Amino acid sequence: MSSMALGNSVEVGDHPVTTTRAFRMLRVCALLLLMAGLTFLGFAGESEDQAPSTPEGRREVVFWHFWGGRHREIVDDIVRRFNASQDEHFVRAIAMPGQNLDLKFFLSVAGGDPPDLLNQDDPVIGDWAARGAILPLEDFVPAEEIAELEAWLYPAAEKLGTYKGRLFGLCNGLDIRALYYNQDMLTNSGFDGPPQTLEELDEMARAIAPPKSQSGRNYVGYLPDPRRLWAWGIVFGGQFYDETSSQVLVDSPEVVRALEWMAGYAEDYGAEEVAAFRKGDQALAGAAFPLLQGRYAMLMDGQWRVEEMREAAVTARERGEEPISWGVVPLPPPEGGLQNAGWVNGNFFVVPRGGKNPQGAWRFMKFWSGYGGFTKEAAVTAAAGGWIPASESVVKHAEFQAYLQRYPEFRTFVQLAGSPHQVPKPVIPGAAYFDSEVTQAAEAALYRPESPPPLELLRQAARRIRSRLAVKRDR
Amino acid sequence: MDDTYGLGSFSLMPSLRHRLTPLWFISPWLLGFGLLVVYPFVASLVWSFCRYDMLSPPEYVWLENYARLADELVSGGRFGQAMWNTGYFVLISVPLSIGFGVGLAVMLSWRIRGQAIYRTLFFLPSVVPVAAASVLWMWLLDPQAGIVNAVLGVAGVDGPGWFNSVSEAAWLPAWFRGIGGFGSKDALTLMSVWGVGNFMIIYLAALGEVPRSLYEAAELDGAGPWRRFRHVTLPMLSPVIFFNLVMGVIGGVQAFTQVYIVSEGQGAPAGSSMMLSLYLFLSAFKDLEMGYASAIAWVLFLIVLASTAALFRSAKHWVHYGGASP
Repeated sequence: MSSMALGNSVEVGDHPVTTTRAFRMLRVCALLLLMAGLTFLGFAGESEDQAPSTPEGRREVVFWHFWGGRHREIVDDIVRRFNASQDEHFVRAIAMPGQNLDLKFFLSVAGGDPPDLLNQDDPVIGDWAARGAILPLEDFVPAEEIAELEAWLYPAAEKLGTYKGRLFGLCNGLDIRALYYNQDMLTNSGFDGPPQTLEELDEMARAIAPPKSQSGRNYVGYLPDPRRLWAWGIVFGGQFYDETSSQVLVDSPEVVRALEWMAGYAEDYGAEEVAAFRKGDQALAGAAFPLLQGRYAMLMDGQWRVEEMREAAVTARERGEEPISWGVVPLPPPEGGLQNAGWVNGNFFVVPRGGKNPQGAWRFMKFWSGYGGFTKEAAVTAAAGGWIPASESVVKHAEFQAYLQRYPEFRTFVQLAGSPHQVPKPVIPGAAYFDSEVTQAAEAALYRPESPPPLELLRQAARRIRSRLAVKRDR
Repeated sequence: MDDTYGLGSFSLMPSLRHRLTPLWFISPWLLGFGLLVVYPFVASLVWSFCRYDMLSPPEYVWLENYARLADELVSGGRFGQAMWNTGYFVLISVPLSIGFGVGLAVMLSWRIRGQAIYRTLFFLPSVVPVAAASVLWMWLLDPQAGIVNAVLGVAGVDGPGWFNSVSEAAWLPAWFRGIGGFGSKDALTLMSVWGVGNFMIIYLAALGEVPRSLYEAAELDGAGPWRRFRHVTLPMLSPVIFFNLVMGVIGGVQAFTQVYIVSEGQGAPAGSSMMLSLYLFLSAFKDLEMGYASAIAWVLFLIVLASTAALFRSAKHWVHYGGASP
């Protein structure tokens, strides 16, 4: 059967062109266009990353991470140093700052095209490990090395990566909170040093900004942050979850007392005012540290503010101004509470199921964290990023000690890193739900006028968490 | 048979060929519709009876997800909260949008100097992308640094907490107890009323279609401006109001982008802006409970279906199709 017979012929000039042939040509054109488009997209993606291609003979490690801004350059530098340090593997870093990296990662695993390595800081190890999205380290690391690694890490760093007694994530830096204070504001109210106990904190806060004395005030002594019930609950001597007995302890007396104490601030200053004041912090340009603006006399925050405070002092001196005098101390405990306690989280590496080069990933994880003979490299890395190393041996290295000389306030955080009372959020499936229920209860206690008392709020939260976890455990 | 057009053997089965040809033409659409609409629709229904985390195969739990939804609804859990918030938002924002839309359209139909400029000004907000508008409103309504509260402050009013507050302005008992105020959902309502231009433009078009003769007749009968509006304009606009009502309810129940942005992706503060679609998203992609999220999606779908059906039922009592009447 000829094509002439099949298609309708149309006279175009001198050449009869059949519609079939025209369609075939169209199809070819469309295909060519599609290919050109895809190739272009491929190139566009490539040029955006500006990642060099993997050299011949090296095995690629595709590395996703959540670092952005200034830290992205630091990460790129670590990758460059690693790639120059050996000729077996080649790390290709892809920065994915912003929200929802956990979601992108999970979908990449579900879709069968994951990276080889991921670095981020959401409490997701429990969920991913329980679902088999990530590999336990024992799958690609000899058992004796794992035992050694567990002893090498700070206890908090080990807990962060451990699910059901197996190490699934390697922590490469801890995030620890402590109480920053503005000594100038304390001095103005007649206090010559930071609070040592919770009672002193309360007294100072109310002396600096007497409750209900003035609306529209643009500073406070201290205000608790509902997201930090996780820290104060521990400081009060409580626990949110017992991993050995799988018990939800959100409504235990210590945690309830912590929330009651936090809610006391909302009672004294007004729930709406507390919420509005908190939100005002986020409106500061470039998420600047509110302590620097004189908005707080005392404020809980992480170690990354140390460098910011120091830089601000330099800027102030350049302008001929007197920099604020400040310091940082561990969270002051109430009577019967715990010293050097608080909530800790951190950044960690995980290796996805389906990754093509776990050995290369492991090599890079060691290079960054410092385990297995990379102490010096890790100390350089931690000092560059202003990160708390995951192991004391990195802290002790001369490179990091030099950093501590430059930033003496950082010592407070490093000392806290070794404390047994620095507790991460539970590493269990359903951790995100657990977290948001606890935070919502605390938000309700602080921001919702006429909310039920903290005990009731935490009981409701605990009941919901228990029923949700029960579903998870059925699996 | 005349073969001038090269029909050849094709003419053997003209009817089948005729029937297949259009299918080929619409096949790209059919393929897309099947893959992107029909399949997800059916799959989500199946998954709503399963426990499914996208990694391991779905496992049937039958009504467990729906039972959990019922429990959360009764016990005031997050689903209950999301239902309340969504209902509040839709019930307040849709009537307000219609009221303001109609009012604005009527005023903008008056022949005054600069009419075109005013029309453009009021339509402009609906051209702004939702994400940009959300960020803009977060700045405007910031309780401490925002311009709205600054203006209120000059007028001697203590500005409300807007997106940072759990207050519900329409919850009247709170005002009597002295804790009334404008909160996150009211701020979202304000945002949606601000973007009423889309609706307004439809009303404007409909207003132009109202025959002059009706107004003249009404005037001859002695009807003043209000009665002409009440008995001529409104009935003639009613089909368009009905259309906007249905679209507004559907859009309101599904509101996601602005909610996600202003609530930091968590329904903050204290869950006061947790809407159904945000809860669905969080359940699916943060808690990795695709089955449960599918159940929420189906409840959402049924709510939209039921409210649309109810609106259509009510339509015969208040919607007047001028031209279609026998």
